[in-house]
Amino acid sequence: MLRWILKTLWLQKPSLLASAAGVAGAFVLVVILHAVFVGESRQVVAYVRHTAADVWVMQRGVGNMHMANSFVWDSKVKRIAELPGVRAATPILYSGIVVRTPGRRWLAFAVGLQRGATRGGPWAMAAGRTTPGPGEIVVPRVFADMAGVALGGRVSVTGRILEVVGLSEGSFSMGNSVVFMAASDLAELMSAQGTVSYIIVDAQPGQDGAGLAARIEQAVDKVSALPAERFIRNDYQLAMQMGTEIIAFMTLIGAGLAAVIIAFTAYSQVARRRRELAIAKALGVRNRAIYAAVGLQTLVITGLGLALALLAAWGLFPLLSALVPQITLVVTAEAMWRAAAVALVVASISAWIPARYVARVDPLTAFKG
Amino acid sequence: MWRLAYRQLMAEPLRAALTACAIAAAIAVILVLRGFEQGLYAQLEAAVTARGAPLIVAQAGVSNFIATRSSLPQLARERVEAIAGVAQAQPITGLSVIYGPEGNRVPIYLLVHDRRGGPGRIVQGGPIRGARDTVIDEGLARRYGLRPGDPLVISDFRFRVAGITRGESAMFMPFVFIGYDGMIDLFLESEIAPDLSTFPLLSYLLVDLAPGAQAEAVAELIEHAVPEADVFTADTLAANDVALGKELFGPIMQALIGLAYLVGVLVIGLIVYADAIGRRRTFGVMNALGFRLRHMLATLSAQTLMLLALAWPLGIGIALAIAAGIESLAPVYRVYVLEPAGLAWALAGVLAMALLGAVFPLRVVARADPTTAFQAG
Repeated sequence: MLRWILKTLWLQKPSLLASAAGVAGAFVLVVILHAVFVGESRQVVAYVRHTAADVWVMQRGVGNMHMANSFVWDSKVKRIAELPGVRAATPILYSGIVVRTPGRRWLAFAVGLQRGATRGGPWAMAAGRTTPGPGEIVVPRVFADMAGVALGGRVSVTGRILEVVGLSEGSFSMGNSVVFMAASDLAELMSAQGTVSYIIVDAQPGQDGAGLAARIEQAVDKVSALPAERFIRNDYQLAMQMGTEIIAFMTLIGAGLAAVIIAFTAYSQVARRRRELAIAKALGVRNRAIYAAVGLQTLVITGLGLALALLAAWGLFPLLSALVPQITLVVTAEAMWRAAAVALVVASISAWIPARYVARVDPLTAFKG
Repeated sequence: MWRLAYRQLMAEPLRAALTACAIAAAIAVILVLRGFEQGLYAQLEAAVTARGAPLIVAQAGVSNFIATRSSLPQLARERVEAIAGVAQAQPITGLSVIYGPEGNRVPIYLLVHDRRGGPGRIVQGGPIRGARDTVIDEGLARRYGLRPGDPLVISDFRFRVAGITRGESAMFMPFVFIGYDGMIDLFLESEIAPDLSTFPLLSYLLVDLAPGAQAEAVAELIEHAVPEADVFTADTLAANDVALGKELFGPIMQALIGLAYLVGVLVIGLIVYADAIGRRRTFGVMNALGFRLRHMLATLSAQTLMLLALAWPLGIGIALAIAAGIESLAPVYRVYVLEPAGLAWALAGVLAMALLGAVFPLRVVARADPTTAFQAG
């Protein structure tokens, strides 16, 4: 029976290929969506990861950076810098802004850097300077390409015209692009004088981040201090959290679509071979063997669909990244395992309809004209 | 032709049902993705228009409401209210903050309001009465199992859920409404600035017009009297937010929808092809009877169109069911399946898919052997 079913599939190559392609399309939708969220989540933590602080200090009760608002009285920077175990404390301002160029507007997060700051700036540059002065800005190179802005060009942030003095790399994404401005400019735009958003703390050699964070919270009133790894984890989890439900819904929808396509293909092929099935039954082949054959049939279609999906994803991702540079795509092994697990469930569900049909085939039809 | 196509379909009702389901599923995926995108934009629009003011004053240079920061001088309200044609100017402040325990945090949008711009319909509990009262969107309530009377801790400051509202979220962020007393208590408690009187506490002003006043004329007067401000009609500000949303989410949504259309073409093509294979004998008979290729293709197309006619409402039904499921499980999202432009695009796409799908079995139909008509079935 198993050989018969494989032969049946092989005889209908175009149909097999079309259904596998349909199934692949459904899986690709799920894989792309997952890749978008993983890519975005990694971009969300790109700034804090590359800043490589030992401890991050912020407003009490705040535990991350992405989309958060944190205000810390600037007098606390000096108090933290003077604590034993602290090598340096660098304040930054942080705010969501809209960067505008003629014909383009883009949501970004602005980091305001103090004059002469050696910490907290861009970590990789395509061109220009890393530290903007008053009236200047460092923007992601991808944004500059999209908006047609070059070094020396102008962008508008909250009505203020700033000169582009640097193009940064790795700082652009759909939901978390980072631009760098002078703290004085950003403070003026935020009307936030006497306040900083976050404090980057570098520890003395041999100091443990968690211990230092605890000491800062003890010594300075109404601040939260988190070791870098916990701060990064909080941001990453927040970003992934926002996508969890959407990915789950998309997985269900994609799986449902794949199940219907597979069930349709398997049913069509089995229905076309009704007489052969009737003969097999008349010859004493048991239903169990026929069910196994149908199961194998759906498994082959699903497996082929999954393989095509992975192949398509592999080919599509570089193309998508080139065509839509706003999207950062990252495929993880977890996403692949998840797709395979869903495929297995889909194959089992899809086998039900053709199996039910097979069980009802009357062996007598083998002898009808 | 139509009758023949109909009889072919009815000859195998289970197969016809499965076929319609497969096409409907492909249609539903397209509609849900489109509906999700439209929902994102509609939420952005409603976030502004639901504040209920014809004119909105923002910081000069700020032309959006959500996800950006606007900061107006605290005395701006007085100056705006002194302008002829302004009935009242009510303050509103927007702040995105993060809520939830470690490992389960989500961004929320804190909307601080006075007498205007608060939550629309309260579906559970009551309005804000005290400084620590909040009204939260049901998306947040559902996610964390919050009910009226429960505490809501934001930045270590303990608020109390007074009521739950519906449809107040945008950009994946449920809104949380608080009063100005609550915001000042939160800021004082958090010791965020040396002097709160100079701290930005006011984001926008919601301006109501005096009877007979013209919005454009009043806007001009405000911009003249308060140079630190820009004035927008609610519709313009909403359109700006929608445009920003399209810049941000448009590319990925278009990529996903394009892929969904591709899957649709494959599904319909597969179905039409499988159908042509299954009816090779019928085409052989038609060939033997002298039917031309275009007649046979017309019959096939008629059948596909009939299936589409069946699958289209079914697809809408499935999409509506999925949308209802999503909105019920995660009310922070809106899926607008029945948006006319979206439906028209999807229908045009499905018809195009059917035309493309009809090309798949061209070879099978053209090569249908007339002698098969005389072979045993």
